[in-house]
Amino acid sequence: MVVARPDGMRSPSPVPDSEPLIAIDRVGKTYANGTVALEEISFDVHEGQFVSLVGPSGCGKSTLLRMVAGLGPITAGKILVEGLPPRRARQEKADTAFVFQDANLMPWRTVMGNVELPLELRGIGKTERRATVMQALETVGLADVTKAYPRELSGGMRMRVSLARALAAHPRLLLMDEPFGALDEITRQRLNGELLRLCALANWTVVFVTHNVFEAVYLSTRILVMSARPGRIIAEVPVPLPHPRVPEIRTDPEFTRVVREVVTLLGSAAETAEEE
Amino acid sequence: MRSSRCSAARPRQPRRSELATSLDRGSAVSGSAATPTKSSAPSRLTAWLRDAAPPALVFIGFIALWQIACTFFNVPRFLLPSPYDIAEAWWENQPGLTNSLISTFLAALAGFAGAIVVGMSVALLMSQSKLIERCIFPYAVLLQTIPIVAIAPLIVIWLGAGAPAVIAISFLISLFPIITNTTAGLLSTDHNLVAMFELYNASWWQRMVKLKFPAALPYIMTGLRISSGLAVIGAIVGEFIAGIGGRGGGIGFVITEAAGRLRMPYLFAAALTSSLLGIAIFIMVSYASARFLRHWHESAVRREL
Repeated sequence: MVVARPDGMRSPSPVPDSEPLIAIDRVGKTYANGTVALEEISFDVHEGQFVSLVGPSGCGKSTLLRMVAGLGPITAGKILVEGLPPRRARQEKADTAFVFQDANLMPWRTVMGNVELPLELRGIGKTERRATVMQALETVGLADVTKAYPRELSGGMRMRVSLARALAAHPRLLLMDEPFGALDEITRQRLNGELLRLCALANWTVVFVTHNVFEAVYLSTRILVMSARPGRIIAEVPVPLPHPRVPEIRTDPEFTRVVREVVTLLGSAAETAEEE
Repeated sequence: MRSSRCSAARPRQPRRSELATSLDRGSAVSGSAATPTKSSAPSRLTAWLRDAAPPALVFIGFIALWQIACTFFNVPRFLLPSPYDIAEAWWENQPGLTNSLISTFLAALAGFAGAIVVGMSVALLMSQSKLIERCIFPYAVLLQTIPIVAIAPLIVIWLGAGAPAVIAISFLISLFPIITNTTAGLLSTDHNLVAMFELYNASWWQRMVKLKFPAALPYIMTGLRISSGLAVIGAIVGEFIAGIGGRGGGIGFVITEAAGRLRMPYLFAAALTSSLLGIAIFIMVSYASARFLRHWHESAVRREL
């Protein structure tokens, strides 16, 4: 699928036989206590795509995302990130960023201190670091609160700091685990728009976990619908909406159609779960 | 003494949800929340007066009552000296008391410093693995439960009477709260932050210095506050048992001597001086704690409603 970028750039269209950025092949996860969290998960993510994982809570979508990031062992199948197992990809390529469920900031550091952490851990010098961080903070519109502490910021602002931190790391791949789940609807919608703008700007490939269908449809090029535990992918829904996605697209009939399709699929997933 | 030693109190971690609810969540207008406008802030002097005046009044009232009671009922000096007698004894023995104070202060400080170094090292070791923790912790508890007075004579035999023995006792008594609080702090780092450090490939050293230690700071500060008071008590108890007289004799020695000779006003003066010492050290640690935590930890943050 060729996606026109808001800035006029075209995202590199995945040539069918090009190597995917993430290749997930029959992956499963069984916990030590015998609970099966994930079963037979297979999908690819190509450069420039925005893929959302949608499913009922507890279906293992966060677990899957963490496995892609190289956190926690994979008990069946395999995951390749840029052709390498996740942990090695993380250590050798260092171009994955993760955005957590809440802003996940260090309360004892200022906004500046939080955003520069990834660069600091890579051993990049202070002056170089500051320049990158200021740029990232300007991009998310927080350049004038660099000295504030997280507790002085609103929830939405803290989430933007978290985005700036990911931006400063200059990742190719961005993994997001329900990043806007704790925000109110207005802030969430505003940050959704901001995220799309940043994606276009930084050419991120994103895997986005959410249980909010509207958010998934608004943001994604593809939506993967998961079943209740043990998590499986029950359907893949392409989102044929044009880019750039303006907020008004939420009232577009096509938008509504995709939302209805995903909601129906989720409903059937919940029913089968209840029958079991 | 014993009970306060056991209370390795755990500070409240700033829970994320609490932080979130206390803020205007909707507003994402940059700069608005970061620079709260101060409207008619009370001057420093008024604030100080408001904080200090009530306890000062209580103090003055108590002293006055004491003095009146002693004069009115004609209480003998060797039973209960009046505040005036105590002040007089304190003034007459001023140089000696100051010397004793310095000597006890230095011993307590040395014991406290030793407890910080050893206690935090032990905690660091215990936080590395469950196995190590299981190996060491019972002995830390054992150390805690042995009454210090019971092993003090042993310490005197090993180290001889004098400063080393006093420092050792002060050290032993103030060690445990530092171990337990630091360990608890190092083990309660937010797991999402731990995951983030792993994701950005942080080394062990980076993880300790940039994450675990700062995150444990509120716990460590609680431990230090408990231990600072104990270090002073330890030094005085040490001087009871192992103190030496003469110029280098500490407050503990002065107290035993004054009690032995029934010099009650002097005894009271020495006891008050020692409590001033404890308060001074407590204030120092509290000040350090407030400085380190003021920007971010609930316990040190001034909240405007």
